Amino acid sequence: MINWIFQLLVFPGLTFFVWIAFAFEWLERKTAAKIQSRVGPLTAGPKGFLQPVADYFKLIFKEEIIPRNSDKFVFLFGPPLYFSVPAIGAAFIPILGEKGVLSHSYDLLFILFIMAFSVLMASMLGYAAGGRYSTISIGRLVLQYTSYEVPLILSILAPALLARGLSLSKIVSSQISHWHVFYAPISFAVFLIVSLAELEKPPFDIPSAKTEIVAGWMTEFSGRPLAYIKLTKNLNYVFLSSLATTLFLGGPLLPIDVQDEFLKTILFLLVFLIKTFSVGFLIFIIKSALARIKIEQATSLLWVITTPLSFLQLLLIVLFR
Amino acid sequence: MSDKDQAEEKLAKISTGLIQYSPEGLVPFGPVHPALKEPEYFKIILEGEKIVQVIPRIGYAHRGIERALQDRNWIQAIYLVERICGICSFSHSLAFVQTVESLTELEIPRRARYIRLIIAELERIHSHLLWLGLVGYWTGFDTLFMWIWRDRERVLDLIELITGNRVHKSYATITGVRRDLPENIERHIQPAMKYLSDRVKFYKEIINSEATILIRTKGIGWVSPDVAVRLCPVGPLLRCMGFKRDVRTDDPYAAYDEIVPDVKTSTDSDVHSLLNLRLDEIEDSIRMVLEAITSIPTGQVKSSIPRAIPRGDAMGHVEAPRGELFYFVRSEGGNKPVRVKIRTPTLANILTATEMLKGHTLADVPVVLTGMDPCFGCMDRLTIIDIGEGKRWQINGEELRRYGIEWYNKNR
Repeated sequence: MINWIFQLLVFPGLTFFVWIAFAFEWLERKTAAKIQSRVGPLTAGPKGFLQPVADYFKLIFKEEIIPRNSDKFVFLFGPPLYFSVPAIGAAFIPILGEKGVLSHSYDLLFILFIMAFSVLMASMLGYAAGGRYSTISIGRLVLQYTSYEVPLILSILAPALLARGLSLSKIVSSQISHWHVFYAPISFAVFLIVSLAELEKPPFDIPSAKTEIVAGWMTEFSGRPLAYIKLTKNLNYVFLSSLATTLFLGGPLLPIDVQDEFLKTILFLLVFLIKTFSVGFLIFIIKSALARIKIEQATSLLWVITTPLSFLQLLLIVLFR
Repeated sequence: MSDKDQAEEKLAKISTGLIQYSPEGLVPFGPVHPALKEPEYFKIILEGEKIVQVIPRIGYAHRGIERALQDRNWIQAIYLVERICGICSFSHSLAFVQTVESLTELEIPRRARYIRLIIAELERIHSHLLWLGLVGYWTGFDTLFMWIWRDRERVLDLIELITGNRVHKSYATITGVRRDLPENIERHIQPAMKYLSDRVKFYKEIINSEATILIRTKGIGWVSPDVAVRLCPVGPLLRCMGFKRDVRTDDPYAAYDEIVPDVKTSTDSDVHSLLNLRLDEIEDSIRMVLEAITSIPTGQVKSSIPRAIPRGDAMGHVEAPRGELFYFVRSEGGNKPVRVKIRTPTLANILTATEMLKGHTLADVPVVLTGMDPCFGCMDRLTIIDIGEGKRWQINGEELRRYGIEWYNKNR
């Protein structure tokens, strides 16, 4: 029991994922800086590695300003709940073996529920804060979610079809010889596009477009709630990258068979981290090379292009397998 | 219209009309907003995401410069008018100096006129690059923004090398310019211009091929030329509607009669054509700078500056990067101007920009509103509007002071 709680809260659960989330933010800022010929974070820690941590603790100690017409309960207690959503989701990801900490036989459905719940939490927070920028942002967020949910589910369905099972551990173990990305490349591409939409990154950073609606639904937040929201967004980044790794890139599995248990665990962890950071890196590069599109363009892109493409992929899998 | 177009339009209508906002649909844009570099307030009335009406309310950056000019002598005034704008500061001092010169019989040395052209064109390059970078920022394309601003540093370095300052050049003076060019300046200008013209070609390629930039700018901000003429825009905004108007060729000043600019126009009158037009103008400016630096005559750069300017009224204008910049100066023979009136291009363009926004969506606001390259600090003025009686009048500093004292005496 104690072992299980340790796995859930420390390693490879919550604490571990929070540290990867900080590392992701650092990598994102550093990559963007290199592409844009800047230096990026530099002073906190080696090569500015601790800058995201410093930013987080700075926000924790800042003043909290609560808008007068906000729903105070949701405004203050919503952000920790919002944080818990990807934190629970991360516990399903298999890292040290073929099974995650909270693994069960239909956990893929639960992952889908978690991704929908994350958007619901965001819109609740935005409405609780009030304010016109938040309202516009929530309208865009929900509209964007309804457009990308169908391609998201269809693209996740492809590896489930290939593995003939709805559990992450079954999907991972079915990739021992061939990764699903080779059989379902279109679904992988669609999943990356949809990830950009879920993460509100360019070209889909429409709900938080800063030159239009300031910070979107986060405009009214400050201090600790904002720190939680920022950390959650980074955690979402890690969650989606690790999900892509699990579904399409074979998770932590090794191509060779290792007898020693301890060595095997270490290698699993390394392989998983390399794959996850590579997927994250791919997303950073895509988002640095694109401008923001408009909400009706995003809607039409997601419905008209990505949805038929994911159907096509499913059809191909059904026909040839 | 094909079935596909109809379907897409229907989809766009559904997706934008679904979102319902506060009953009156009013969204404040400014005075403090990440898209605006300077404080200015735009009331935006929305219906879904569609813009119904935009009401600009100006005056947040009013600094009383026209009044302050009346307290300064002719030389001090040059440095104050430069502070009106941090981007086109040389255009302001040039326009003021030329207006004052037209009151006198002074001869401006030919070398000084060439140097004025070089600085004015370098300033145009830097101003247009700044705007292009900001278009990247407004459309969420931060990489383009950073790249263009890095290249802009080359121009700023050249300006610093020639004038001693990056932003407020303090370079123009009555009868010429304050300093001669440094020796061997062409050795610095030529490689920088070569580098910039390569980069401009590269940016042209990006702007005409990158899909996200194309769908964000093509066909956005279209306004029919008939409407536009009624609202009197100036500068690139007017030229992109197909009117060939440029003070540099219509009423040549500095050395523009000898080095003739090639005025570009476009007929699309949308934000994308503005992008291409400004890039073309940068290329033309690069050509003019190189031409001027090779054919520059030798000689003096200024003659002796008079203390007092003869009595009279004068009007002058230059083509600032944003359009026609207009100055009116009245002298009564003393060592100070009696009245200076400034009409900046942004004031002329702001109504057109709000007209361009109608019918577009909220997402287009930053791109279109700033497509005219606004400079609100230049524009603001104090006008008092009494809504109750429907009157409006302008007031000067002395009257405002007296009004304040009277008001407090009455209401205390």
